[in-house]
Amino acid sequence: MIRTVLLGGRAGLHLRAASRIADAAGRQPVHVTVRTAQRPAAVPADSVLSLLSLGALCGTELILEAYGPGAATALESLARLLAIDPDVAGA
Amino acid sequence: MTINVRPVLAEPGVRLTEVAADRVAAIHRCADVLEELGAVHPAYREAMLDREWAMSTYVGEGVAIPHGLDVSRVLVRRDSLAVLRFPDGVDWDGHQVSVCVAIAARGDGHVALLSALADVLLDPDRARALREAADPAAVVAMLHPVALP
Repeated sequence: MIRTVLLGGRAGLHLRAASRIADAAGRQPVHVTVRTAQRPAAVPADSVLSLLSLGALCGTELILEAYGPGAATALESLARLLAIDPDVAGA
Repeated sequence: MTINVRPVLAEPGVRLTEVAADRVAAIHRCADVLEELGAVHPAYREAMLDREWAMSTYVGEGVAIPHGLDVSRVLVRRDSLAVLRFPDGVDWDGHQVSVCVAIAARGDGHVALLSALADVLLDPDRARALREAADPAAVVAMLHPVALP
């Protein structure tokens, strides 16, 4: 199952943002990968370093992928996190 | 609004024989070097310490990336990097850190740098080369690839 989302953080996928995503991905029952059009090699969403390697800026299209029971919910929750700006209060 | 400026890393910003008793001392050294480079206002130091307190800047493979907070970007004078190597290591909340990449950045330009750094750290041979670097020029070349991602 594939889900695409535009990165919402104005400051890009920086360390705090990547840590938040990796934590959330690690709590999912399925293995989730991420890639971008610029870097088509999919990387594990639960690895902070791998997420940072994407070099994703605000508005970058991220392609999330996961399979198996719970994949749809996992992709939905990660996509929601990626779409919001973690540097805005309340995010 | 973001400013897409790549932070500059040059040889004067690379220090290979640093010593620090703990994580706080290491961040003070990072702030010292950024100040020496004219990259930040002196108040940036406190922002780096606050940021570290909020969440560790350890990224893995013996590397931490101390930097300021979103609100401290006004304290950045020139988007810059400093690389400090601590050959004896520094305890970083349970991790052993041997390299700090200190970041002073106003916009999202450092995301490209983080990508280059992550690529180095995901490659065990290059990660070891960074941790054991003995030549500032080699460190600059490793972290400042010409090609943008």
